[in-house]
Amino acid sequence: MSWHAEDELLQRYASGALDAANSFSVEAHILACDDCRMRVPRDTTRLDAIWNGVRGSISAPATRFTERLMRVLGINAHTARLLAATPALSTSWLAGIAATLAFIILASHNKSGDPLPFLLVAPVLPLAGVATAYGRGVDPTYEIGASAPMRGLRLLMIRSLAVFVTTSALAVAASFALPRVDLNAAAWILPAVALATVCLALSTWLSPLRSAVIVALAWMAVVIVSLAVATGPLRVQTIAAFREGEQAWLAATALLGVLVLVVRRNHFERMDR
Amino acid sequence: MNRGAGDDRELLAALAAGEEAALRALYDRHAPWLILRLARRCSDRDVVDEVVQDTFVAIWRKPGAYDGRGEVGAWIWGIGIRRLIDALRRRPRRAPAFTRESDVAPSAEEMVLLGVEHGDLAGAMNQLSPELREVVQATVLDGLTTREAGRLLGIPAGTVKTRMMRAKAQLREGLI
Repeated sequence: MSWHAEDELLQRYASGALDAANSFSVEAHILACDDCRMRVPRDTTRLDAIWNGVRGSISAPATRFTERLMRVLGINAHTARLLAATPALSTSWLAGIAATLAFIILASHNKSGDPLPFLLVAPVLPLAGVATAYGRGVDPTYEIGASAPMRGLRLLMIRSLAVFVTTSALAVAASFALPRVDLNAAAWILPAVALATVCLALSTWLSPLRSAVIVALAWMAVVIVSLAVATGPLRVQTIAAFREGEQAWLAATALLGVLVLVVRRNHFERMDR
Repeated sequence: MNRGAGDDRELLAALAAGEEAALRALYDRHAPWLILRLARRCSDRDVVDEVVQDTFVAIWRKPGAYDGRGEVGAWIWGIGIRRLIDALRRRPRRAPAFTRESDVAPSAEEMVLLGVEHGDLAGAMNQLSPELREVVQATVLDGLTTREAGRLLGIPAGTVKTRMMRAKAQLREGLI
């Protein structure tokens, strides 16, 4: 190529002072000519700033599938990031929940076709997720969350809600695989809500994990006592918590849990720091 | 002198293998002119910087999108100008997309020199109104479709077509 852009021409092009026809020539030429391209005036500070942006983008870890899904559903970017970092929303955790549900469903396909095994385990699954949704030791973003200008309670609430909804959705889906799908198959939902809210309320005194262990033990105690005093074949109605009358008590317990949480929300903040 | 193209292709190959240094080298070669050329089509400096960044991130993610035909520079320009169109569509237009050179009027001497260098075509081109010229630039030089040009310039595709016809007629007259 014989034609080359002189430095003076490139300078005028860069400053925007060059007329249209010459600008067109320069633009067409620098696409093909390495020499002239390298002589284009450069603003090193600006170039370095953009390069830092490029490096930041290419070295950032790829966003998780759950995070992209939440973005698509219209959840804003920072909430999606906080939620995606929740251990109980990771694929491996959810796979674990699904596997547990599968085994329980299989166990429910016994001779009597009674959903008792499913009902005993299902309320504990959301509890486990809620207990590990937040807190020192289980949350990879704990330090970031603790120093963020965001109330810990808000983070706890959105995460617990997300975990509860996701896990419960899996359990609801699983309940359709029970031998008999009727109202009895939904008897686990109120216990699940009660266990999770009481656990959250307890977390204003204790660590979330410890609260969850206590609540789970209490649930087991209810089950064991019910089984001990039971006569006749094991059925849904054998367990006190699944009888219609007692379900109202569970709802009351859940409400009480929410109340305690609201009243003691500042204790949660203080213990957290 | 065309050694640039071969080197660019080698850089793209290295980049596809995950070498960040290759991206840096490509950036050093192409970012300066890309900034200038985009700046002539968008006066918002922040938008231009963002588009340049996006362009090189896109090259890093999909170096295989270059089909091996034509100049690597032209391929990079194709990515950049389309990112610019997307960026302009996302944010409301604050200033005209074009930096016009008319604020620096060429001297009479310069006009004569330009006439000698480029003949009548240059003169005819410079006599086009800014509206007609930006359409010629977008469709002929930047290789955009009528629709893309319309989006870049903030005018309907039909207007791009009629302006292009008027520009052609005017250039033809200037050359006779």
